[in-house]
Amino acid sequence: MFGDLRRFDSGRLQGLDWFRQLMDEMLPEAGVADIRSVPRGSFPMINVGRTDDAVRVYVFAAGLAADELEVSLQDNVLSVSGRRESEAAREEASERTEFRRERFQGEFSRSLALPEGLDIERAEARFRDGVCEVVLPKREELKPRRIAIQAA
Amino acid sequence: MNDVTRDNAPQAPAEREREVETLLPPVDIFEDDNALHLIADMPGVTRESLHIEVDGNVLSLEGDVRLEMPEGLTAIYAEVRAQRYARRFTLSHEIDAEAIQARIDNGVVELVLPRKETHRRRRIEVKAA
Repeated sequence: MFGDLRRFDSGRLQGLDWFRQLMDEMLPEAGVADIRSVPRGSFPMINVGRTDDAVRVYVFAAGLAADELEVSLQDNVLSVSGRRESEAAREEASERTEFRRERFQGEFSRSLALPEGLDIERAEARFRDGVCEVVLPKREELKPRRIAIQAA
Repeated sequence: MNDVTRDNAPQAPAEREREVETLLPPVDIFEDDNALHLIADMPGVTRESLHIEVDGNVLSLEGDVRLEMPEGLTAIYAEVRAQRYARRFTLSHEIDAEAIQARIDNGVVELVLPRKETHRRRRIEVKAA
């Protein structure tokens, strides 16, 4: 999944395009955003990949146990929600100085629309090392099929 | 005169080898009387794929994302765009690098960086003149 993320990149951009790409990466996204999209870097981050058999959704939610994350599916929309308390807050707040607090704390909820043709009944979710993987098998008739080319 | 005006700058290689892309894990850092504490979010990292190193006074925190991914999985949407976390910090000399402790649980890495005995925080009593 990670190996082919850059499969359409054609290497270092020529001319001044590199600068435009640099600015695009630095400044907020312009253009058309998905209606359920969230600001870059929101917690938890989500990746979606597909194989011939299924669509797999990876939710990067560190620090949560399997029962602290709620995953639900309705009308082709996958929703992920829960609450994360920070360990830093849990410890007795004795005399101490905080330098950084970058990790997300509090309640979160994210949704994404799934591609058509998934068999919701057979969806499964697994949680390990702070990543929740949701496997949504494709319905039989929608798996990719090779079309044999016959000599005319 | 052509020699003077000719561009002598080395040409950038057309095929630059792509550097390994890394993610910056978000961290919470706080300090109490005895130690500095660092907590980092590195989901997908296991005990085996986590590497913590102190070189001189630089603390390096690195971890590879280990997901069980089936063959032929292609991305259709990706917010996490690299498979490796890396972040570095310079430590000050009163940290006892030998005594750093680390723990990882559910993708959260907790580091305790104790201060050397001689450098523990001490209250200085202010006496009335």
